[in-house]
Amino acid sequence: MVIDVFLALGLVVLAWQALIGGSLFRGIVMFIVFGMVLTLAWAWLGSPDLAMAEAAIGAGVTGALIMIAYWRLRRINAVEPRDPSPARSRLALVIAVLATGLVGAIGLAAVSALTGDATAARVMNETLPDTGLGNPITGVLIVFRNLDTLLEVAVVLAAYIAARAALGRESADLPLPPAPDTPLLTPLVVTLAPLTMVVAIYLLKAGSQYPGGAFQASALLAALGVLLVLTGRVGPAAAANWLTRAGLVIGTLVFCLVGLGMLVIGAPLLAIPGIWAVYLIEAAMMISIGLTLVLLFAGAPGLSGKRS
Amino acid sequence: MNWLLPGLILFLLVNLLAGLWRVWRGPSSADRMMSALLFGSTSVAVLILMAEWQGIRALRHVALLVVMLAAIIAITYVGISGARDKGSETNPDRKAP
Repeated sequence: MVIDVFLALGLVVLAWQALIGGSLFRGIVMFIVFGMVLTLAWAWLGSPDLAMAEAAIGAGVTGALIMIAYWRLRRINAVEPRDPSPARSRLALVIAVLATGLVGAIGLAAVSALTGDATAARVMNETLPDTGLGNPITGVLIVFRNLDTLLEVAVVLAAYIAARAALGRESADLPLPPAPDTPLLTPLVVTLAPLTMVVAIYLLKAGSQYPGGAFQASALLAALGVLLVLTGRVGPAAAANWLTRAGLVIGTLVFCLVGLGMLVIGAPLLAIPGIWAVYLIEAAMMISIGLTLVLLFAGAPGLSGKRS
Repeated sequence: MNWLLPGLILFLLVNLLAGLWRVWRGPSSADRMMSALLFGSTSVAVLILMAEWQGIRALRHVALLVVMLAAIIAITYVGISGARDKGSETNPDRKAP
């Protein structure tokens, strides 16, 4: 099919351009466009879940993050516009060939695994209706393999703690660009903020039956937080208040409490008692992941009501 | 009429390619960002067409997500370009004097 070839070639060209780009800013724009085309590729392959994740994290939040990093680099005059590419090592070709071979081998293994007896998938499809869920991906994430998901939420928390440890006390001085003072901004924020909220909660709710779920919803909430930080509605604070701390740990905490609570009533560890527990865990995860992403973006330990 | 939707998708993708040339050439960073945002709109159109063509309704949710996130990119860009030397030039590719 022409569209398949078009998307595949486009992705390779965009990835190459993003890395090799003559100027740093061109590379950033190429990266954002790469994220959009990758979203289209996933959509074309019929996986809306992956397309959503790519659109939210790859193109949206990461794009904004890289642009802010670029701005901070320019502030300290660390950007050398003439030669952004580092000197090429002789090992580059060898490493590239080996990496390509590894990716090819993993891809081949994944494709050949599909033809085998898919016991896990069959059992999951048979038992999925008992959980009340209609979306197999949410089923795997929250019910069948929820230890992995619990560890993912814990990793997000660990990333925040690691960033705090690495930045130390200096991070309060990390500059943010001043809020743009165009008259269009306030109406945009006033319209977009509640809409984003509604769509995020809708994605969380829809995630039980259709593509969507806590990760996509939290990426959208993070995008909203980034918007509020950039427009000066919310500013970085020197310390995290109790509300921020509670938001950071609530995902891991609720997940652990539900999982451990099952032991008390005699069920297996991390068994999911019903669809209400899925919503409870996902909502808590959404808050924690979204808040962590915003704090990592602002490079600050906490958030305050208004930027000074 | 079976060719209509894939034909339109392909046409929009070719549009994307044309816009890519503008991202590559610039010359100012505003040109690059404008065409990247145009890509966002084109992607939304392509996603809606794919939702019809493949019968996957959830792809419309993806389109919704792309719309919301394009605003973030735009505001970030306005923030970082307005914050540099005010008014003199809006081209971060060139070093500020």
